[in-house]
Amino acid sequence: MPEMGTLFRSELMCRCQLYLPPEAAYNCVAELGELGLVQFVDVNPEVSSFQRQFVSEIKRCEEMERKLRFIETEVIRENLDVDQDEIEPMAPAPREMVELENSLTTVENNLTEVNTNYVALRKNHLELTEYKNMLKQAEIFLSETRFNFQDSDETTRLLDDPEENGVSDVKDEHASMKFNIVAGVIDRARQVAFEKMLWRVSKGNVFIKFSDIEEEMEDPKTGNTLYKSVFMIFFQGEELKTRVQKICEGFHAAVYPCSEHGKERRERMMGVNTRLEDLHTILTQTTDHRHRLLLAASRTLKSSYVKVRKMKAIYHILNQFSLRDSQRVLIGECWMPTADIPAIKSAITTGAQNAGSSVVPTIERVPTTEDHPTFNRVNKYTIGFQALIDSYGINSYREVNPSVYTIATFPFLFAVMFGDAGHGLIMLSFALWMIIAESSLEKKRDISEIFNIFFGGRYIIFLMSLFSIYTGLIYNDIFSKSLNIFGTNWSTNMTFAANESAPLKLGETLMLDPKNPNQYTGVPYPFGVDPAWQAATNKIGFLNTYKMKISLIFGVVHMSFGVILSLWNKVSNRRYHEIFLEFFPQIFFLLFLFGYLVVMIFIKWLMYGANYADPFSEHCAPNLLITFINMMLFKKADVDPKLEGCHTDGMNYEIYMYSGQGGLQKFLVIFAVLMVPIMLFGKPAHKIYKRKQEAARRGTMRDELLGGDAPQEEEEEG
Amino acid sequence: MKEMMYYNINDGYPESIVRGYRRSLLTSSQYGTLTQSETLDDIKLQLSATDYGNFLQNEPPPLTTGVIADRLTERLVSEFNYLRRNSVDPLSKFLEYVTYQYFIDNVILLISGTLHERDPADLLHKAHPLGVFESMPALSVASNVQELYNIVLVETPLADYFRGCLTGHDLDEMNIEVIRNTLHKAYLEDFYDFCVNDLGGTTGVVMKELLEFEADRRIINITINSFGTELSKEDRLRLYPRCGKLSRESPAKLSAMNDIDAVKAVCDNYGEYQHLFRDMNRSERTLEDRFFEQEVRLNLLSFHQQFHYGIYYSWLKLKEQEIRNIVWISECIQQQQKERISDFVPTL
Repeated sequence: MPEMGTLFRSELMCRCQLYLPPEAAYNCVAELGELGLVQFVDVNPEVSSFQRQFVSEIKRCEEMERKLRFIETEVIRENLDVDQDEIEPMAPAPREMVELENSLTTVENNLTEVNTNYVALRKNHLELTEYKNMLKQAEIFLSETRFNFQDSDETTRLLDDPEENGVSDVKDEHASMKFNIVAGVIDRARQVAFEKMLWRVSKGNVFIKFSDIEEEMEDPKTGNTLYKSVFMIFFQGEELKTRVQKICEGFHAAVYPCSEHGKERRERMMGVNTRLEDLHTILTQTTDHRHRLLLAASRTLKSSYVKVRKMKAIYHILNQFSLRDSQRVLIGECWMPTADIPAIKSAITTGAQNAGSSVVPTIERVPTTEDHPTFNRVNKYTIGFQALIDSYGINSYREVNPSVYTIATFPFLFAVMFGDAGHGLIMLSFALWMIIAESSLEKKRDISEIFNIFFGGRYIIFLMSLFSIYTGLIYNDIFSKSLNIFGTNWSTNMTFAANESAPLKLGETLMLDPKNPNQYTGVPYPFGVDPAWQAATNKIGFLNTYKMKISLIFGVVHMSFGVILSLWNKVSNRRYHEIFLEFFPQIFFLLFLFGYLVVMIFIKWLMYGANYADPFSEHCAPNLLITFINMMLFKKADVDPKLEGCHTDGMNYEIYMYSGQGGLQKFLVIFAVLMVPIMLFGKPAHKIYKRKQEAARRGTMRDELLGGDAPQEEEEEG
Repeated sequence: MKEMMYYNINDGYPESIVRGYRRSLLTSSQYGTLTQSETLDDIKLQLSATDYGNFLQNEPPPLTTGVIADRLTERLVSEFNYLRRNSVDPLSKFLEYVTYQYFIDNVILLISGTLHERDPADLLHKAHPLGVFESMPALSVASNVQELYNIVLVETPLADYFRGCLTGHDLDEMNIEVIRNTLHKAYLEDFYDFCVNDLGGTTGVVMKELLEFEADRRIINITINSFGTELSKEDRLRLYPRCGKLSRESPAKLSAMNDIDAVKAVCDNYGEYQHLFRDMNRSERTLEDRFFEQEVRLNLLSFHQQFHYGIYYSWLKLKEQEIRNIVWISECIQQQQKERISDFVPTL
């Protein structure tokens, strides 16, 4: 086990070289992958990705992934559930790759074959359905025109309008003019353009009828729903016929033979119907077959995905290794936590044993001056807090890790703001549910991104709710109401005296006097805010200033703590100049202005009170906000002549709480403002100075080495 | 100043997108690794490390140049359509203008394809997706110019451009070529007018450069390609776009030329075209390549200015060049012609 308290700083890391026998390398890396404690470094970054050793294996993995994706889309389209495997499979042995490849290829081939059949059948089905609908509509069109013909026969004949006549003449076998009919089915979306085009090509000499097909059809390839209409075009002449056909072709309209004779049409209809029925049986069989095939594939889909991806990842890592010593050893470099070296060693030994290699792989530490990676070991409790901190920026190697303190401060500060025990209870029950049902929820966390956020921070929410209950009890706020647990120490059962001359007014308020023992016992409520405040009209005024003050105190303490943590980093990294250029100015600035404000809060709390005699009575307590503003402006507040009781011994207690306050405040502000230029320019100035010094030193060193006649330009460069 | 204040109200988002697209154009080092590829799969691998990402990942092997080209074009089209969907007038109008050139090319492709009795479905597949219009399939119905106009083109944006070529009667090889050039001429002039006069401002300045170059390229190409044909001096003059530098200043001179040296002599008066004909005989670079190089240079320049629409045009041109480059490299690999693999025009 790693030593305790590693969360305070990121872990000690070391750069190691791995010497793996090539035959066992795959298994060793697989074991390391399961362990997840090693960060590999590319030892041959100059080699382009397709010239690396295991490129062909990676390509094979990608090909397998492609097949898996294909199978997955088919499975999803079939509305099958992709089975969730309970246990994640281990990385397969290299020899299993061929097996996996073969099985995937078989599934893919079977699927494509079935799909081709299926698409062909469905296309056939679609065409027949279209034809059926077209024939049905044709029946209606042609019989309609027949009626029209009966009605308008005389007039149209006389007018001899070819178009009008044409329509009606279709069924008239004795007519002198012969009319062509082109009928078919077209996408409803293209209908308008199609009609326009036909009209333009024929110069208005065609008659078109459209009718929507109510039945929804499926695209044989994609399975999307198609909306189609039947069209019938009536026109004259052979030349126009070729043109119409060309346009039909151009608009992807399916043209079906349509006879003018009703009898023939009905015969066709019968034929189509029987064929449709036959096709239907075949189609159901194929669908069943396809379903079975996909069902079988869906069972192993997930685990195959994991296997292939693990394999791909392993080869990807192996590509970062280099083959040396006449191909007898694979050398790779990696970072690992020093504490875990034994575990890593045993993992690669297991890997080598699994591969049946006689050569023992070795790990060797290499000293390096490179920046080490930051690794914070977390568990399911701390991971949420660490993620919270990492979202603001990841600390450098071995710097103080603030997430330890965050575990307490974050939920606490949240609760100071939230502060309601009742709502805290609701939060607590939600957090507890997530914690208790952890293992089952873990699998479902991918379903909703928003839920994932809550689930990831379940322990944060848990702590936040506990703290909220605590602060809620202190504020005596439960669902925005108060609980009178210990009994209020204020006497609220006052009797109002009223008589005829001074009648009781509605909404009249009564002031409770803390000095009066009949109205206040003189002992504070045992825990938190006295529930009597809930009924007070100045509740908001009282609680707001109280909460504002504690927030200030917590805020300043919290910030000072953060600045002090940075001192720790500076000392351990031996950057002592930063202590004077960063830490001291920061802490002085903070403490001299806001720290002083906190001190004033405490002085006010201790010195003044409702039951104290003048000049420390509640009337004399100064407004700290005004005091602070005046402090920044170097201004003294005006003496209020009405508050005579506060003026004793030459002190105005309603303005200054102690003697010499004005002078001290001036000093503090001036000192704090003086810190600003140090914070701004201190470090850059120091850097410039250091660089100059370094350049000068190098110059003299070269002087000495070259025996005095050093090149001058070197110094100028610095 | 006004541009600076108001540009971002409507066009800030598309501009940021198109500048992002421009950043993702392949760099010279990426071209370098591409040219080292041994197989098309290597190309796929290399491209997956660029902004193209996994765009080839669902292609079953074997990979072909055609598939790569199709996917690249799909990418371009989807990016361009994204810009179009996120634009409002006048940017949307500008982007529409940009697509007209593909319209023209598609029309010509279909007419000449029908002339040679090619399969219409195949032709439609070959048409550039940015220039597809609804009545395009009906193009094959038309048998002469008049019909072409009356049936198909009358309701497309090209109708105005087409009026200039209604005089021709039959659709033969020569006429199609004339139609193509007339359409492009009319389109360029219209687009030039739209950019310089309607939009004006920085857009006008930038697009003026780009469109003048485009016009001059057409003029030079028409001149050179009409050597020894029956195209008369007047015909030639009629095909020259009037918005080019060459046509504004020396159209008559150019139209009378009958050999390449004379063209060279005229172009020598223009600083930007001088190098086009330099060392023509010694260098392997063709005139077309030199034009492309010049085009890339000009298009890159337009990104140096802000608050104008020229970047959309330029990005499209650069992206097209990039696609040509990738296809060229893939072709070279597929046909084992590695010695010529570096003969592309880098876009950066």
